[in-house]
Amino acid sequence: MLLAVVAVGGLAAQSVRGRLAGRVPAAAVAPVDSMVRAAAADGLPTDPLVRKALEGGAKRASPEQIVVAVAQVATQLREARTLLLRSGATLPVAPGEVVAVSAALVRGLPAPQVQRLVAALPGEPTGPALHAVADMVGHGFAQDAAVDLVVDAVRQGLRGVRLLDVATAAVRELQRGQVHEAALTAVRRRLPDVPASPTPPRAALTRARRPVADPTHP
Amino acid sequence: MVARVLGGDVEAFGLLIARYEPGLLRFSTRILGSADAAADAVAEGLVRAYRHLASCREPARFRTWVYRIVANRCKSHLARRPLGDVSLDDVTPPADPTDNEATLERDEQLALVGQALATLSPEKREAFVLKHVEGMSYDEMAAVTGARIPTLKMRVHRAREALLEALKEYQ
Amino acid sequence: MNTIDPRIHQVLDGELPREALPAELRPALSRLEAVGDVLRRETIRGTVAARVFAEIRRPHHGRLVRLARWFTERHPITISLRPVWTLALAVLVAAVALLPSAGPAGRAEQLLSAQEGIAQFVGRFPDARSVEVVGSFTDWRPGAIPLQDDDRDGVWQTEVVLPAGEHEYMFVVDGERWVPDPLAGRYADDGFGRQNAVIIVRPAAVR
Repeated sequence: MLLAVVAVGGLAAQSVRGRLAGRVPAAAVAPVDSMVRAAAADGLPTDPLVRKALEGGAKRASPEQIVVAVAQVATQLREARTLLLRSGATLPVAPGEVVAVSAALVRGLPAPQVQRLVAALPGEPTGPALHAVADMVGHGFAQDAAVDLVVDAVRQGLRGVRLLDVATAAVRELQRGQVHEAALTAVRRRLPDVPASPTPPRAALTRARRPVADPTHP
Repeated sequence: MVARVLGGDVEAFGLLIARYEPGLLRFSTRILGSADAAADAVAEGLVRAYRHLASCREPARFRTWVYRIVANRCKSHLARRPLGDVSLDDVTPPADPTDNEATLERDEQLALVGQALATLSPEKREAFVLKHVEGMSYDEMAAVTGARIPTLKMRVHRAREALLEALKEYQ
Repeated sequence: MNTIDPRIHQVLDGELPREALPAELRPALSRLEAVGDVLRRETIRGTVAARVFAEIRRPHHGRLVRLARWFTERHPITISLRPVWTLALAVLVAAVALLPSAGPAGRAEQLLSAQEGIAQFVGRFPDARSVEVVGSFTDWRPGAIPLQDDDRDGVWQTEVVLPAGEHEYMFVVDGERWVPDPLAGRYADDGFGRQNAVIIVRPAAVR
């Protein structure tokens, strides 16, 4: 298994210089490449590191700034994985989970609250639950109250996009003029029957276009 | 009420028409700039609504559902006619000489506001009318138009600015 | 076009109590409210009820029945073809016959998988010559998703299919100015001294 991880990591790292070439200052390519190899060997997702370097290149950041920003992302991913392992996840931790938890921590959700959500969903994707909390916090709900509501929804059997519906229902209550506390009570009382969010009309689907695929990124 | 119509009660649909038709006609007239075209769009929309009533998932939201159908009919009408062919000439009926002074003043105001509204793009006109004439919340507007709430807010805000600018000289 | 003090929008959008508005801004508020009032008071003459009832009481046949009738009932058809078009028509008929038989719902589902949703981007850049959105979903490569301002009112927008989940992005104006989306509501430090906007894309189930 370890061999397989290292081999996959090696392949990932090999393509990194290709992705960075011409888009990131030459002086940053070698250090970023080395950090990506280290992350791959450590079983961490590498895509966020490469993306951060590309972002820096696009924004004309200096090589030093790019290296520091990529190192920061690597640290955040490591912290996220540690938190997941502490909350009961087993190795190898799914890369998507590490990225989702890292994003939640970076956005300011305290580690104990993230742990509560992870613990409420053992072995299941936590992304939607974290997004639901982030959505509510973005609308002024207290972090612990938002986590309480989402954990309650999980206990009542809601998963995936239905957890986002819980956040939407809470925000709707605010838009109807409720204060935050009353909005939470109203949604909690209705659980698990929160209304599904409207799906986009078919006309919107036809209008929307996929972004042009990056030919250098298979 | 919607449940009664679904159960085959055609007359109950008449009550639904009576309740929503004035708003739908007012909305379509402002979007299409022609009372005749608006009547066509509303009639087509209501027939569609009757035939597809079973697909109205939440009867409690019939209002936004039927507005959405009629808004889509308006878009089809706009798409079918040449650009720039949005006349407001037949929107405000000519004043009756027997009308009193208050009515004349109201008609004059309506004509001014209507002309200012006609200078907006159809999307902004639609957003402004849904918000300030039909009195919908941004949530309801999103259900009618399929656009995101920030997009709708942006359209309403720009419409307000344009209208205020257009009506400045008539203060 | 003059911009209005944002507090006027907030009052009209119910986000700020009317009393919080300074006296000098109230005339503009009243004028805007008056516009709505005038339009709301418009007398609507006439009704389409009779037309609607005449139509819904007529027997209605679905598309299949109408198509079957078209084939089974006699009706005149006139087709005049130049010889060169007959070959093209044959190719077209073959292409139509080979199309999978998915209905409109089937086609729409092919547009979006369960893991994709629609993101809508909108921003006001009155003097911009071009606006695009660049983000984690384009690998931060510019040039993939331009916004449009068809009516040239300074409001640029686009809709795009993205993987469901959280994405960071910025607008790039005139190919060089990086601007966070002022309407995003959620932001994240980008590590380069600026803030990215954050969007959560929901998976879009097709109705």
